Amino acid sequence: MSSESPAWQVDIDAAATAALAAVTEATDLAALREVEVAALGRKGSVTALMKRVGTLAKTERRAYGAAAGSLRQQVTAAIETQRDQIRAAAIAAELDDDTFDETLPGLNPARGHVHPLSRVRLELEEVFTSMGFSVLDYPEVESEFDNFEALNIPGWHPARDMQDTFWLKSGHLLRTHTSAGQVRAMHQFKPPFRAIFPGKVYRYESTDASHDHTFHQLEGLMIGRHVSVGHLLDSMRTLLSAIFKRDVQVRLRPGYFPFVEPGFELDISCQVCGGDGCSVCKQSGWVELLPCGLVHPNVLRAGGLDPDEWQGWAFGLGLSRLVMMRYGVSDIRLLLGGDARFVEGFHAGA
Amino acid sequence: MFVSWNWISELVDTSGVDPKTFAERFTLSVAEIEAVVEVGAGLERVLVAEVVAVSPHPNADKLRLALCDLGDTRVQVVCGAPDLVVGMRVPFVPPGVTLPSGITVREGEVRGVASPGMLASEADLGLSEDNAGLLHLDGCDAAAGTPLLDAVPLRDVLYEIDNKSITHRPDLWGQYGMAREVAALLDRPLRTLPVHDLVFTQTPPLHVRISRHAHCRRYLCTRLEGITIAPSPVALRLRLRSLGVRPINNVVDATNLVMLETGNPLHAFDARRLAGHELTIRQAIEGETIRTLDGELRALAPSDCVITDAEAPVALAGIMGGADSEIRPDTVSVVLEAASFDGAAIRRTATRLGLRTDSSARFEKHLDPNTAHTAALRFCRVLLDLCPGAVISAGLLDVGPHIDAPPAPTCVHTTRSYLRSRLGLDDAQLSDDWMDRALTALAFVVDRVPGGGGDALRVTVPSFRAGRDVSIAEDLVEELGRVYGYDRIPSEAPSVAARPPFLPADRAQERQARACLALGRGLTEVVLYSFESEPFLQRLGLGEHDRDGQPLPRLGLANHLSSDQTHLRRVLSNNLLAAMEANLLHGNSAADGHKGLQIGLFELSRSFVPIRPDETDHPALDRGLPLALTDVTARDAYLAGLSPSLREGALSALETTQPLPWQPRRLAIALGERLGGGQEGLVQAPRAVSQRLFREAIGAVEALCRQLQRPAPICARLAEPGHLPRDLTATQGHVDLQPAWLHPARHAAVQVGDHFVGLVSLLHPEVRARLAVPAEVVLVELDLDALLAVPAVAEKGEAPPRFPPSAFDFTVPSRASTRAGVLRDALVRCGAAVAAITVDVDWVAAFEDAEATDDFERALTFRITCRKLDGSLTDDDVNLARQALLEGLLDHPDVRGGWAAAMIVHHQQS
Repeated sequence: MSSESPAWQVDIDAAATAALAAVTEATDLAALREVEVAALGRKGSVTALMKRVGTLAKTERRAYGAAAGSLRQQVTAAIETQRDQIRAAAIAAELDDDTFDETLPGLNPARGHVHPLSRVRLELEEVFTSMGFSVLDYPEVESEFDNFEALNIPGWHPARDMQDTFWLKSGHLLRTHTSAGQVRAMHQFKPPFRAIFPGKVYRYESTDASHDHTFHQLEGLMIGRHVSVGHLLDSMRTLLSAIFKRDVQVRLRPGYFPFVEPGFELDISCQVCGGDGCSVCKQSGWVELLPCGLVHPNVLRAGGLDPDEWQGWAFGLGLSRLVMMRYGVSDIRLLLGGDARFVEGFHAGA
Repeated sequence: MFVSWNWISELVDTSGVDPKTFAERFTLSVAEIEAVVEVGAGLERVLVAEVVAVSPHPNADKLRLALCDLGDTRVQVVCGAPDLVVGMRVPFVPPGVTLPSGITVREGEVRGVASPGMLASEADLGLSEDNAGLLHLDGCDAAAGTPLLDAVPLRDVLYEIDNKSITHRPDLWGQYGMAREVAALLDRPLRTLPVHDLVFTQTPPLHVRISRHAHCRRYLCTRLEGITIAPSPVALRLRLRSLGVRPINNVVDATNLVMLETGNPLHAFDARRLAGHELTIRQAIEGETIRTLDGELRALAPSDCVITDAEAPVALAGIMGGADSEIRPDTVSVVLEAASFDGAAIRRTATRLGLRTDSSARFEKHLDPNTAHTAALRFCRVLLDLCPGAVISAGLLDVGPHIDAPPAPTCVHTTRSYLRSRLGLDDAQLSDDWMDRALTALAFVVDRVPGGGGDALRVTVPSFRAGRDVSIAEDLVEELGRVYGYDRIPSEAPSVAARPPFLPADRAQERQARACLALGRGLTEVVLYSFESEPFLQRLGLGEHDRDGQPLPRLGLANHLSSDQTHLRRVLSNNLLAAMEANLLHGNSAADGHKGLQIGLFELSRSFVPIRPDETDHPALDRGLPLALTDVTARDAYLAGLSPSLREGALSALETTQPLPWQPRRLAIALGERLGGGQEGLVQAPRAVSQRLFREAIGAVEALCRQLQRPAPICARLAEPGHLPRDLTATQGHVDLQPAWLHPARHAAVQVGDHFVGLVSLLHPEVRARLAVPAEVVLVELDLDALLAVPAVAEKGEAPPRFPPSAFDFTVPSRASTRAGVLRDALVRCGAAVAAITVDVDWVAAFEDAEATDDFERALTFRITCRKLDGSLTDDDVNLARQALLEGLLDHPDVRGGWAAAMIVHHQQS
């Protein structure tokens, strides 16, 4: 090997100096990548030097090749080292960073709200379907027959006064109770069956905090070969315990509803005091919850069933009232008032 | 309605029974007790005082000093009562006693004069609201100084009954009926009401004529003479008082006492003030008037039943007597009326006149005509006892349809085993003997049917329970159950065969829709009234029109509570817009992420669409009565099972029933955002806000279709606003096409599968300008039934593609009016033609090309994703697809001419 450096050595050294300086100056990975491309890429400075080997005399080619290869290795190694350093520095910096704020509020996608009436209704539907009840839906505009006559409420009956009714000019009415679906259900299904039909009902009466002219009920109906007061008691206790998610005691009092005979007011043990007596239950330990009874034979007949062959029980649960009880809603008019802020108070799912 | 335990105890042996404990049994077996009132509680130290001297108060004109004899002592108290006189006996309340009104009497001075106690009025003792004078104890023979409770029968326990719980029990509107219940519950005998030693003459008191159309079933009448009008004894007055009736005089008090006892109201006329010798019971004549006992002159209508003498009406039947023939201090002879009037007629008149009395309240319940007879006899007995000089001077006239054609007794045929089985009891729990005793105690007559083996029964219903109360075996189940005690009936699991419940698909789908919109889209569910507010609709100029611009019919209410509720809503969007406006006004938020600015509401409910009578082939036709009853045989079988009175009403109701209106389930969505400012008559929404709200609404519809597994919706502007695309006419008429809120230039009709299911639209600027708050709102109205009628898209478990896709973007220069959807569809069509490669086209962005010098100033960027199912994409594959897409745009009128060609050249070169 000659002691005198060949002419190309200057170029190699200059390229090495420039490339290594550029590597050192690159302080982030993107810049380093640019340096890498500028040096080692297809059109890079080092690559260009490598390509020059073809232009040299054969005797020089070997030495040049070695020098250029060494340059390439040197630059490549420098880049790798620099890359490792940048990575390590970045990780160390992130680990040392004390500016991250973990106390900012969580980011949430916009979250909507299901109306509490829907929520309670769906929950009851689940309880009832798990016990073999069908869930049915019947019209809100009803015939006078389905709402009254079929339910053994003839024209002269005081119930027609008490249940002051919205009448349509067409002669139809807005159902005053979900019981209007009873006869429909009997015609729709072959007995025996059990069903609930929740929905909107209407009364022609002025409104206040505990009365609205529109509210929601849930009707329950069971038809079978033999249905007794004992069965009603058992069914109501089981169902209500499932609804209230705790053991509920029930008692029956005589109640007068033309479509059931015998008819009852059903009281449940006070859910506030557990039956010991408090202001909610007026010290009695019992709270009136719903009317129920054994289906009147005339209603079975209107449903196309032979009362000698089929019997049944029915109840009417006030859904609006249940929502108010459960969530402590003080004014029933909030339910249908359309104020988003009211519904926003309820967060659980559908 | 009050039940007096003292009174009950006169009729049944109640010894050993604590009325306060018994109240619960009574509630569980008879009627709901709202309150148990202890009369006289806390009054143990009140004494009978005799006023021995009255002197003026030195410092007050209206007060006087009463010197009272209390037996062993005398005290002087200050008294303000105007009726204070020497010699009267009144209650004296010593200091320290707390009265029922809550006032504690204290020793003290009244205007400078010492007053160690007070003299009490009825109100002070909790007997009535009457505070005008003292409680007079005249006729009370107890010595001065005797404790008041020992001197008069004041102490009592009253049950305050919830009247609603006895509307079906006319017999319970008297103490005797209540006593019968107590006797049955205690299993002790009920005493009969004393009617002994009554001697009627053969002379009729008057001639009585009942007109054929009068609402009167029975009319009894007699005459008593030798009467001296006087106050009733204090015991009777106290009894009336504690049951809420004001004592008047002995005759009127006797009628009221017997009414409280039997439940049958009575009326006494002053015999000398009746003209002629005939009473007529008839319907009033138009223009007739009567001055009733309360002094009011009342105009009568032909629907009112009246009693007339020879000249004029003397009583409003069953409601109130006339002033001209009322009992006065000089009355010496009375004509007693004990009658039974038709309940519905009395209710009509009482309601029409706004005159509800103790009498009308009882007659409304359809009293048993037999009770009138008992009441007449009881009145005579009571008055003879009260008025020693009185004699019966006539016969007991008894006329009316009830006498001419007495109704046959109601009998119920049943079996003991049936009664037991309906209660869920066996013959050990409910023995034959117990059953007979319970029914007999309630005045039923129980007969064994011969040959029935002791099981078959014929039960005769007492007349006061017959007809509307007890008529079938189920009624007897109730009687036995309540006397036995429902709380003693063991509960038993029903043996209905278990089968999977029928769950209509639409209930699950409603649930999915609700979850999608509330939980997936951040909207808030509201439940609104079914009525539309006419003032709101008018203010905003809302309403629905058909294709010819004619208003679409709505269902009107025949009676309504306010002008806000004259019609049922035909669509949901109007009410939802009203709710949106109110929420925007309040600055409410519905989505947590957009506090105070944007609100998103939805409602899922029924709407109401009239069906014309001639639309008999309407797919939603519901005849409004059970189908089986349209079948003549089934209908006749039903009617045959009813009692004649029920049958008539049921038949008429069945015959007049019209098909129900269509009540489709709809879904409405409203998204609103408050805008700043806004000028009179013009609210302009920034394009970006409008476009964003609209896209969110479309997104909600798309998400809903995905959730319900329906095909993706196709949303496009109607060719002419309000007119259906021709190919969608199959379902026309089910959606109201032209709501007034529809923005002709900013809306989309939603098509899912073959069905046109609804509209998405920003508010028409005219409607937007009328909102009470500057805001942009987008409304969605969907026919959920129509949407769900589209077949669901089957889900498939496909393996994911194994080879990676390749994507590139096109930024297409297009016109300001170019619809992104149109270009996207064009690209999709071209992409579909490329063999062996699937091409997806997604819109990415739109922006204005500021350098454009021609009409093509809107740049639309699409991302094109290519994929090959059977291998890796090559550059050639992608180039092929790119070229195919660009060729498809070569002559597209919405794309700047030459652009596509230039792009093709560009790509071929590079």
